[in-house]
Amino acid sequence: MARWTPERWRKLRVKTGFSIYYVIFLAFIYGPMFAMFILSFQGRRGGTSFPMRGWSLYWWNKLLEPSTVGDMQGALGRSLILALMVMVITALFSTMLAMAFRKAFRFSNVLFYTVLTGLMVPGVLLSLGMAILMRQLGLSPAWYSSGLAVHVIWALPFGYLVMMAVFNRFDARLEEAARDMGADEWTVFKEITLPLITPGVVAAGLFGFTLSYDEFARTTLLAGADNTLPLDINASMTQRIRPTLFALGTASTIFSLLMISVFLGIYTILYRRSR
Amino acid sequence: MTVKNGNSKSGGASLRMSRRRFMGTAATVAAAGGITGFPNIVQAADPIRTIGLGVSIINEIQGKAAKDVGFKIRGQALGYGALFGKTLNQNDQYEVSECYFDMFDVMIPSGVFQAIDTHRIKDWDKVSNLTKTGMLTPGSSVGQGDAPVRQIWVDKDGKRTDGPSRYISAVPGWHNADSLGYNPEDTGRPIESWAELFSSDFRGRVALLNVPQIGAMDAAMGVEALGLIKFGDKGNMTRKEIDFLVDFLIKKKKEGHFRAFWETFGQSVNLMVSGEVALQSMWSPAVTAVKAEGVPCIYASPKEGMRGWHGALAISKKVTGKKLDQAYEYLNWWLDGWAGAFVARQGYYMSTPANTKKHLPADEWDFWYEGKAAAKELPDPFGSPLVNKGEVRDGGSYEQRFKKIAVWNSVMSENDYLVKRWTEFLTA
Amino acid sequence: MSNASEHHHTGLIGSQPRPDGSARSKISYAEEGFATAWLIAPASLWLILFLVIPLVSIVVFSFWENTPQGLNPAFSLEFYGEYFYTKGFFDPDSDRFLLPSVFIRTLGSTVYFTLVTMLLCLIVGYPIAYFLAMQVQAFKWQLALFLLCMVPFWTSYLIRAVAWLPMLGRRGLINQALLGMGIVDKPVSFLFYSEFGYTMALVQIYVVLGIGPIFFSLAKINKDILEAATDMGATPFQIFREIIGPMSLPGVAIGMIFIFVMIMGEFATAVVVYGGKTSTAGTVILNYYGIANYPFAAVNALMLMLAMVIGIIVILRVVDIRKEL
Repeated sequence: MARWTPERWRKLRVKTGFSIYYVIFLAFIYGPMFAMFILSFQGRRGGTSFPMRGWSLYWWNKLLEPSTVGDMQGALGRSLILALMVMVITALFSTMLAMAFRKAFRFSNVLFYTVLTGLMVPGVLLSLGMAILMRQLGLSPAWYSSGLAVHVIWALPFGYLVMMAVFNRFDARLEEAARDMGADEWTVFKEITLPLITPGVVAAGLFGFTLSYDEFARTTLLAGADNTLPLDINASMTQRIRPTLFALGTASTIFSLLMISVFLGIYTILYRRSR
Repeated sequence: MTVKNGNSKSGGASLRMSRRRFMGTAATVAAAGGITGFPNIVQAADPIRTIGLGVSIINEIQGKAAKDVGFKIRGQALGYGALFGKTLNQNDQYEVSECYFDMFDVMIPSGVFQAIDTHRIKDWDKVSNLTKTGMLTPGSSVGQGDAPVRQIWVDKDGKRTDGPSRYISAVPGWHNADSLGYNPEDTGRPIESWAELFSSDFRGRVALLNVPQIGAMDAAMGVEALGLIKFGDKGNMTRKEIDFLVDFLIKKKKEGHFRAFWETFGQSVNLMVSGEVALQSMWSPAVTAVKAEGVPCIYASPKEGMRGWHGALAISKKVTGKKLDQAYEYLNWWLDGWAGAFVARQGYYMSTPANTKKHLPADEWDFWYEGKAAAKELPDPFGSPLVNKGEVRDGGSYEQRFKKIAVWNSVMSENDYLVKRWTEFLTA
Repeated sequence: MSNASEHHHTGLIGSQPRPDGSARSKISYAEEGFATAWLIAPASLWLILFLVIPLVSIVVFSFWENTPQGLNPAFSLEFYGEYFYTKGFFDPDSDRFLLPSVFIRTLGSTVYFTLVTMLLCLIVGYPIAYFLAMQVQAFKWQLALFLLCMVPFWTSYLIRAVAWLPMLGRRGLINQALLGMGIVDKPVSFLFYSEFGYTMALVQIYVVLGIGPIFFSLAKINKDILEAATDMGATPFQIFREIIGPMSLPGVAIGMIFIFVMIMGEFATAVVVYGGKTSTAGTVILNYYGIANYPFAAVNALMLMLAMVIGIIVILRVVDIRKEL
């Protein structure tokens, strides 16, 4: 192997420095989650803040039982389904829009700012505006219809801007080459464009998922008769908050980490096969 | 779920799937069997929808109601803002709203509810005088602000009337009186007046409720107790009074008097448990929750009186026909006593105390309503131990508390102005 | 497809020069790629139905009157006046002389907090994006390490919000650690319910939104160019200033837009971490929404949006992400 030149040492030092910074950064953004992890093992008579009153799995067990206020399991299910729907639609719409914006077209400016307006409208008022309109039209709100509608409005600009960043200085020569070789548009997209932008599409989808899963204000009047998870948690705050909430938070964190591992595993396998 | 915690694990797991479905089945079974004395609808009828805070929308309550009345009740628990918004803007989205009388300055004029015919309320005669005359016992003070008695009487069309009438805006439900909660170890002395809220001894260790309408009333109690001003009506202040109050609050804030402003029940509990504050405006069940977590906390009974609030069950104007019958049935069920006993164990009172008494064991009645020492360890509504033997409820008996309500939660005429000045206070 | 092949010389192997090359390239410019109309139609329809129409109704509300009976259709500028004008503004003797209204001041302080936080997010987040894009080699690990930063986001904000107090409060983890290590002898209270804690919390929550786009634009830089520059004797600083910096600008702009709009619209964190000791433009809207004064909530919302539009335009002036396409 190569010798340890000063240049290699320098690179290693830089890399180590950045790695340490990354770890510190992770500790920083995980901040309150450490308190959440610990307190989820709070004793039976303890609450959601220190001191600990013993240790137990009591609150973790509670997670599996029906909740007192609301319907946490049902709400979680609804929120996940909604987030997945928003994820797919956001990824699809963002990709389509960003592809369209690669060319100049009439009213592109109007469309650009309209998409961005979705970022700016305060959620409670969008919810109110929609609710009043729907009422006048005699439509009933539901989390999977009107809820979905405004969640996409909220998530789309994020996905769209991410895709804009992806197509930014995008090298179109490969596509041209394929076209010159007579490939039709679908083939060009499938074989050339899509593989290049996949990370962006995934990111746009992830934005959609994340923003929808956590959205509260926009759903207040548009969820209909069944609560999404944030609405349910918000309602539970009108009562005593129990460490069950922290058990839920910890569980969802662990679940996320697992999903990432699974995702990595699948990716590794697919990558190997494609070679 | 009231699966008492000692139960076998498998039992808990099998019940976990869907409480609602389970309740639905239970309702059907109950309906088929005709279990209780309620006029049963023989076939499982369509469910009705009810919305409210986590105070009254609790699976146990609606589940038991469904069992008793024979149809499903879909409860949707919401936060305060969402409840207010949905009640006002979407009265086609619920049959019953479990709301609060201080919302009625907005709800009555906007006509989202229908008048409730007291002739269809079975236990109307058992509803206490607190909401009918404003005086729980003769000689009590009605209190300033939106006392329920000022909000309840309407005519057939839901318009306000001057006095008693056959129709009411909503059926009175659970209620309580709020004051200050404090940690005696931190304050070092008993708190007996709202004036202590502004005592410089507690600088930096005080929290105030950050719902402008209500927080302003708590602050007004304090300022008045200090003798700085005499409010005409703390539940309906003039601009001048608001200015005086907010200017005072701004001065206090700049001195670093306030540690925080809280908005939810849970926040207020955590502020106390975590030792952030020594003294704050607080709700009675929140004090109980703090104590249950092993932190000393006392619910003050200030000599100036307390701030009352009152829950109510209203029926949407959109409800007709069979659904209306069902809504009435649900309202009647609330007054029947089981729900009263349930909310009592959370520290709330119910508008039909006589019925509640029938459903509460004597020990519990004595503790929660009579203000006597607990004869034994008492449970919360879900069966967990809550009150230690020998403990006495702060604030005395039900009658003592409600004899002297200083002011009721209200929406003021100058509410817009109050919110504006409150914003200034927070920004200062 | 068979239809198309009659006109074009298709076939990947048997590709031939077009009969008329120049004409083809002209036409193809318009025809290449999918038809724009089809690409934008679904999203546009969605936007019109669920954004533009409700938004128009919000604008309409802002001119309505608020009566005890509910909203009353009218053309009233009352609430706009209320927003901008405070009694005593033109009165030299008043203590409110030339003092902007509380709503403008609140909006101002919101903008101030937002800008400070944006700057901090950039400083804290850029190195992370750089690390992911430049120091981590395999795409797989880049993605994994990026997703690791996203995980806190997948825990409901409302749950995390409850956990702030046991982290930063007087009896919180940090204070316990400080006490345990003997750094302080009594709990410090500046961590929580303070401007410091509030700013830190905002950075912590939103910094990841900036990292993503910066990472994407950095990841596209061809590493060979950097190698070449190094070989030619360019210092790391020169490389950053000449190549990496400019190339990452669109990502920075997009990341800053995300963070900007998120914090401008913030209302919850101020309550939880700052103990409600400040007002943001978002809390004002919520407060008026809460007392059913929808017209004034709408006026506040529109002014907030106006401030956001100005902010975004400024950001896009610095970096025109669409020109850079």
